[in-house]
Amino acid sequence: MTSKAEFLARIRTEMAKTPGLFTAAPAERPAQPRQRLDILRRELSERWPQMLERFRSEFERVAGVFHRVPTAAEVPAALERICRERAARRVVAWPAEELGVAIAPALGAAGIAVESMPRASVPDTERDRLRGTIAVADLGVTGADLAVAETGTLVLVSAAGRPRSTSLLPPCHVAVFDRAALVESLEQVGLALEAWHDGPAPPERGAVINFITGPSRTADIELTLTRGVHGPKEIHAIFVDGGFARHD
Amino acid sequence: MTEPIVTTPLRERATNALGDRLLHEALDIATTRFITLRREAFGDFPEGERLRDRARAIKEATLQRLDTYLEMLVANVERLGGHVHFAATAEEARDIVLGIARRTGARMAVKSKSMATEEIHLNDALQAIGVTPVETDLGEYIIQLAHERPSHIIAPAIHKTKGQVAELFSRELGRPGLPADPEVLTKIAREELREKFLQADLGITGANFAVADTGTVVLVTNEGNGRMATSLPRVHVAVMGVEKVIPSMTDLAVFLAILAKSATGQKLSVYTTLVQGPRRPGELEGPDEFHLVLLDNGRIAQIGGTLRESLYCLRCGACLNVCPVYRQIGGHAYGYTYPGPIGILLTAMLNGPGSVKDLSHASSLCGACADACPVRIDIPRMLIELRREVDARRIAPWSERVVFKTFARVLRSPWLYRAGARIGRMAQRPFVRDGRIRALPFFFGHWTRTRDLPPVAARTFQERWRDL
Repeated sequence: MTSKAEFLARIRTEMAKTPGLFTAAPAERPAQPRQRLDILRRELSERWPQMLERFRSEFERVAGVFHRVPTAAEVPAALERICRERAARRVVAWPAEELGVAIAPALGAAGIAVESMPRASVPDTERDRLRGTIAVADLGVTGADLAVAETGTLVLVSAAGRPRSTSLLPPCHVAVFDRAALVESLEQVGLALEAWHDGPAPPERGAVINFITGPSRTADIELTLTRGVHGPKEIHAIFVDGGFARHD
Repeated sequence: MTEPIVTTPLRERATNALGDRLLHEALDIATTRFITLRREAFGDFPEGERLRDRARAIKEATLQRLDTYLEMLVANVERLGGHVHFAATAEEARDIVLGIARRTGARMAVKSKSMATEEIHLNDALQAIGVTPVETDLGEYIIQLAHERPSHIIAPAIHKTKGQVAELFSRELGRPGLPADPEVLTKIAREELREKFLQADLGITGANFAVADTGTVVLVTNEGNGRMATSLPRVHVAVMGVEKVIPSMTDLAVFLAILAKSATGQKLSVYTTLVQGPRRPGELEGPDEFHLVLLDNGRIAQIGGTLRESLYCLRCGACLNVCPVYRQIGGHAYGYTYPGPIGILLTAMLNGPGSVKDLSHASSLCGACADACPVRIDIPRMLIELRREVDARRIAPWSERVVFKTFARVLRSPWLYRAGARIGRMAQRPFVRDGRIRALPFFFGHWTRTRDLPPVAARTFQERWRDL
């Protein structure tokens, strides 16, 4: 087997043979990305209606279904409607602390079982049970860390209480978010990613960040667009005008 | 070294492909569709040109400090609890993955579409030690069931009709009488593969990018299989060519803005998954182990070689769609893992210039590939370089070398050139029909067998110029 030292030595030998094809530098990175992100957020807070409109139109372009509710208190009712239309009875969801709103009581009262994901480590047997529950759920409810207007993309950071497959295994995924998540462009997502990785990661942070742009799709058979091949067939976004109290 | 897949000569492979009407139709529809979608995506995106320049500069800058960025990547992946392995050859890469599979007692591996694992022929090796590899990209799944090889980098099964897929699924999955309906067939694949995802021990993926600064492996998929493979099995192995490393998240944002537009015309693919090591404490799912295999397999030798620029390649497939040769013969006729114009360069990189002595000529050098390439790789320039290398190594047949040497002599001397034109004008007389030369004797016939030759003009430009 080749060792790291041998491998890198070979690369250095080759690198020494040429100065390269032209003078080039990587993209310029923001100094102090966290401060830059804060400043950007303040700027963006003034033009959120335009961002939201662009997000809606791009999200719909990739076959997302967009909903809008005035306050967080109306989120459970919106979810209940989505469940009813699909005869969905089993829901898996991020817990209220991660979502910003409690949905289990209201949906439970309507006869829809909500399994909230644990925010702390659980024993292996419980992990297996939960995995089975997510795999057979009709609907997965998550929050969103970013909603990107340019592309209609939702960005979700995994963590304890925010398992990756909540937005992946159920046939229908619903993401709930407010104006704090809105950004304009992929370039701004780049800034957010820099900010999130500036300094040591918070202990609760998970190992995966997912960008989701519409429902799972394929065109591998005769280029016919087909949805829901491995991931959800449907994706919904519920925008909360009044926002919710964030724990971050 | 990667062993060649096909042993028949290129001429025969191309002729077979040209005679396949179904293949031809599928290719025509697919490539035309991809070209249109790509054009529309960039048409809506005025910053596109600037971002392509930046992406190109990032790739070049990364190569100029490749050792530094790889060291940074390794350190960060390890800091996050992952393991990094170094593979100089395809064989070493296979052995590393097999070692992981054996040690973890894996029985089944789910694979997200990855050209790097195609390149090292990983599936056969896994099979040989009793690990069942399951391709989970729908196109790759079809190809695997049919025991074929991908014909397009991003649409591996474009050569198959829905009727053929229905027959294949009916037979191979024991579900007789399936309709030729992509919707139904996709649903069947979802069910079949969902089971595999939940059972598999090993998730094997490639990497579209790896961000040095944060130790992040980035996977881009539309179906979600990349997410499945990195979330459900207890071990995740990512195999990537060393050239996939990029410095920072800021760079990543630049590439993401152009990759999907170039490949499928989407603004962004459905799923972009950033993986940072194994499952963290408190996370419900994700692998216990994360392994990154850094693959050389001929790449490193090109850092200072003629094919350096092909190390910029993002594997988007845009150059395939616009290539007049690819559009006629499709991916299989190229005979190796990577088809199309960039595929010729990558084949030479992996297998040496001798492997492309015919393939390096499977291009009209029209330059459409370089125009379509998101990072503006000058593919025609390198194809010419390769032809020169092939010539220098005297791999070409002697007759061809003699003809081109003579031709070069004639072109270098004005006197010989004028004489040549006069001789040609006389010698061509018996062969000109309706203003074209359609057939020539001896080995000159190789040229006219597949194309006509314009005759030498009755009066050359020089002669007419003198008389003005």
